[in-house]
Amino acid sequence: MPGMPPPPQFRPGGPPQFAPPHFGQRPMGPPPPQMMRGPPPPGMPPRPGMPGAMPPPPGGQVPVFGPPRPGMPPPPNAHQQNQQHQDSGEMPGMTSNSGDSSLSIVPHFSDSQTPRIYPLRHHGLTPPLARVSISWARGSTLRVSLIQSDAISEQQTGGEVVEVKLTNMEGGEITEAQWRRIAYGSVTPFALLQSQKNLMDSSHYSKDWWEHVMEYSKEINSLLGNSMSSSNLVIEDPKAVLKKEEEPTSLKAAWELMEIFYADKQSETCIPERLLDWLADYDCLFSGTQPTVHAKLVDFQRELVTLQVVENDPKYWEAMSSALAVGWLDIVVKLLHLHGSYQFDQLGNRETENGLVEAVAVLISKMPRMRPDLPAEKLGECYQTKPEFMKAWEKWRAQITKLDCSAFWLQCDHHQTREGLKNMLQIMLGNTSILSNLTYNWIELFISHFLYIRPFTVGLENMCNLAQKCMHLKPISNHHKLMGLIIGILEENTEVVLAECSRSFGPWMITHALELLTAGSTQAEILLHEEQSKLGGISIEELHRLVYAQVLSSHALTWNIAPVYLTSCMKQGMGLLENLLYRQPVQNHQVLLKSIEICRLNELDIVSSNMMKISGVRNWKHGQKGSAVFWLQQAQDEVRLNRIAKQLFDFVGKSVSDESFKQWEGLIELLGTESKTAGGLKFLNIYRDFRRSLLQVHGGTTSDSARKAVESLISLMKNPSTPQRFWLPLLYDSLKLLNWQEPPLLNVSQTHLLLTKLQELSIARLRPDFTNADLPPEALNSVRLALATNLGRAILEE
Amino acid sequence: MDKPILILDKGTTCTAWNYSGQRLAAGSTDGTIAIYDSTDPASSIFNCTARFKVQESSILKVVWVPPEYGDAVACISADGTLSLWEEVAQDADVLLWKLCKCFERNTSQVLDIQFGDSHTCLKLVAAYSDGQVKIYEVLDPLELEKWQLQAEFQNVIDLVSKFGNASCSAASISWNPQRGELRQSSFVLGFTSSIPLLNSSKVWEFDQDHQRWLPVAELALPEDKSDQVFAVAWAPNIGRPYELIAVATQKGIAIWHVGSNPDSNGRLLTEKVAVLSGHDGEVWQMEWDMSGMTLASTGSDGVVKLWQSNLNGVWHEQAILAPSS
Repeated sequence: MPGMPPPPQFRPGGPPQFAPPHFGQRPMGPPPPQMMRGPPPPGMPPRPGMPGAMPPPPGGQVPVFGPPRPGMPPPPNAHQQNQQHQDSGEMPGMTSNSGDSSLSIVPHFSDSQTPRIYPLRHHGLTPPLARVSISWARGSTLRVSLIQSDAISEQQTGGEVVEVKLTNMEGGEITEAQWRRIAYGSVTPFALLQSQKNLMDSSHYSKDWWEHVMEYSKEINSLLGNSMSSSNLVIEDPKAVLKKEEEPTSLKAAWELMEIFYADKQSETCIPERLLDWLADYDCLFSGTQPTVHAKLVDFQRELVTLQVVENDPKYWEAMSSALAVGWLDIVVKLLHLHGSYQFDQLGNRETENGLVEAVAVLISKMPRMRPDLPAEKLGECYQTKPEFMKAWEKWRAQITKLDCSAFWLQCDHHQTREGLKNMLQIMLGNTSILSNLTYNWIELFISHFLYIRPFTVGLENMCNLAQKCMHLKPISNHHKLMGLIIGILEENTEVVLAECSRSFGPWMITHALELLTAGSTQAEILLHEEQSKLGGISIEELHRLVYAQVLSSHALTWNIAPVYLTSCMKQGMGLLENLLYRQPVQNHQVLLKSIEICRLNELDIVSSNMMKISGVRNWKHGQKGSAVFWLQQAQDEVRLNRIAKQLFDFVGKSVSDESFKQWEGLIELLGTESKTAGGLKFLNIYRDFRRSLLQVHGGTTSDSARKAVESLISLMKNPSTPQRFWLPLLYDSLKLLNWQEPPLLNVSQTHLLLTKLQELSIARLRPDFTNADLPPEALNSVRLALATNLGRAILEE
Repeated sequence: MDKPILILDKGTTCTAWNYSGQRLAAGSTDGTIAIYDSTDPASSIFNCTARFKVQESSILKVVWVPPEYGDAVACISADGTLSLWEEVAQDADVLLWKLCKCFERNTSQVLDIQFGDSHTCLKLVAAYSDGQVKIYEVLDPLELEKWQLQAEFQNVIDLVSKFGNASCSAASISWNPQRGELRQSSFVLGFTSSIPLLNSSKVWEFDQDHQRWLPVAELALPEDKSDQVFAVAWAPNIGRPYELIAVATQKGIAIWHVGSNPDSNGRLLTEKVAVLSGHDGEVWQMEWDMSGMTLASTGSDGVVKLWQSNLNGVWHEQAILAPSS
């Protein structure tokens, strides 16, 4: 139609205003690779294996316990898994340390027979290597020294050390920084839930527990990326769209699945409806590996810009029908409104046609839904109770049948419109073969069956039966991790759910999702909380927390949140926490303070004093004597403190004016602040006071300081911890005090005490082990003389 | 997942990380030791901060002294000597590595050493090529210069047997990593020697009452007792009711459960729970991670293997890390 203005809904060059979930924001242009169907084009490098996942066992990806259920499709064969390994890779634009899949070492129920081989990258080492040596660093980090053989003469280096993080947090689609944000964000909700659990009276446990779990689940879910609310979809500036764009992630999708099935007791009756919403949000995740309704709509949207008369294009009708089949009603109605008969200049001659289109659109938007409410932009009429819903459902079906039999169809000249609309009525009437043709995988088919054929499907068993029927009609050609999870959930097979969670989504997921699982399933609760001797006496829940804590400990930026998870472990958490703390580098002041704080909170006094001891010894050896004494005192390490005190003894008896004494004075000060000082330290303290007073006496003669010096001398000589070898040097240093004239400083009894000591010393001198102090030979005699003179003066004085 | 963090000097023969993984000591053929440091715990950039000559002969093994005793390494040289080097501040706060102890030796060579029991009094176990095991104790907690020989014995389960002329080519020692004052110090030791009775791994425990070391368990089935032992590794125990010890012989890597309480004969209950296929030859080294859940091993096939027990308690090979060629 030349000269016609484009339909009002279109903006030149921009996307149309309708948009199926998640793709309306995409700019026009070649689709990103994950939107493409089928295998990647030849130019693209093959994608590495599933990030974050363990290699699948050759026998089958999903460990299914017991005999397979009848009607279940056989497990995908090895070839298919291979295909999947190549296809489901990292999303483009997501950074990852290596192009390789990450390695996880989380224990599972069953393990592959042949271990996977991971290459260790290095730069130009020539094999064979002379030696490979290993060392575990904190957490699950392994350091491998690859040592070059000496025989190879042209080698440049002697080898290389490679660090291997054995449980990578990044699952490919989520960057390391995002993971850290998630890890930090989930600490508070997790800790809160644990404390609520502890407070919970066991009798009230089951009654309203799920409300707490639900709150927790919502908090966690909010961390996993911005929700794709449809309000984002109508955007003025196409460029702004890109900025806001956030890929839906499998992680969030998996979390929501767990929430739907295990945590949300309120909407237990409308699980299929919630699954429908879920698929609307995450169908695009399956597009990477297989055709989907979502991918079909993406394709159509691309073409829509160039289409002048949409209703003439069979793809228009196909896209609408597929969207209708999976219940994306708002999209269908938006697309219907693009129909040419709505345009003003056409309204006159296409009245009947337009009436039919509108009638179908109204029927679609009036579809009864058994759910409490619908988001604003979604269509349908909600019913809370089954009888009300049944009544409305019957009425609605009657209206469809009535329209189907209407005579107006004969008056509709536009062939495609007539056929297209009639086909849509058939969908709503639940025509099995049409539904099967319009959907691409069993989940889509499952949703369509639920919507139009078996709307009263409730209970896991019924859902599982329906799912098996759908899987039979649409066999799984390409195992997706989310599908594995859904199957496990529907089959109520806790082992499979656990395996899928931890293999595909990693330790973070399993640790946090276990709260949902145990809240929602008694079977799971028993399995996960049972203490198992084959696990060394811990439960599976605890094991997963330990593994996650170890992953957190591997990184310097996350190790400090590991204690939250370790303290939630009943049996082995504290043991691992101790080991984690012992490996902290205490030479880093902040790490040391943080570790001490963690010890204080968890009453790990022995661990913290050990860290202080390490710090003290390190400071001592590195010549930082002051901090050494401080930390050793904090550690209450009497053995080492006494040892240090003994070193200070060497200064006793050296000349009073010795400058180096000043250096030690501060140290003695430090040593003395502790109340629980050992004998040696007490001696040093008094000695310091004595020394100070003596210095003042030598400087200017003040009788006050002289009196103080005498006090110190007496208490030193009385103190049993004063080593005998210091007696003479002390007395010799005090000669000036002993010879004090006006009046004598020592009274009679004090002089007697010193004389007795001198006598003891004279006897001791005769023993062979006596160590002679570095004093003039006449020292003893001069002291004795001074004491005798003083005694005389003192007697006279008294 | 993997990231090269450090390039080693030409001629490097062995490496050892300290307790926190912030320092690496690397010994080399010319008898020098290089120390690499990372200042920031968040970074993995390592710089060589010291190089010092230990011996004229090549260095076979370097072991860090527990951090409660400072920054020090013990090294075994190719000529069989054992020396201890310590980082201390000299004048003007310049840090230097200096020799603090050279252990006297007779004709025999030191094969392996390990430090243990750092909580109370630092002990050093050394295994010699003549089949003797010597235990040294440090006398002063602030000085690594003074050591005394606390005990000397042979690795036999019945204390009466004595073997002269033993010729051992390798030994492996692993202390019980458990800390705490209440624990008796214990370690496991195995030999590669000409005398079958010396070979099998035995758990030695210190008897506080009689001040002597006693063999409390033998980690070998009767038919395997003469097997030469490549490596032993005692797992950290964070709360298991039993101890976990890995023993590598030419028959593979065996995982042993060892009970904590002795029977009337003073022996601990042992159970071999798994034999894993190992490395098609010699096993060079085995190391447990900090939770004692994963065992890493290396061997003459040049790869690193990771071993783990699954949720059903079955031990299996979890992964192989192979240097790309």
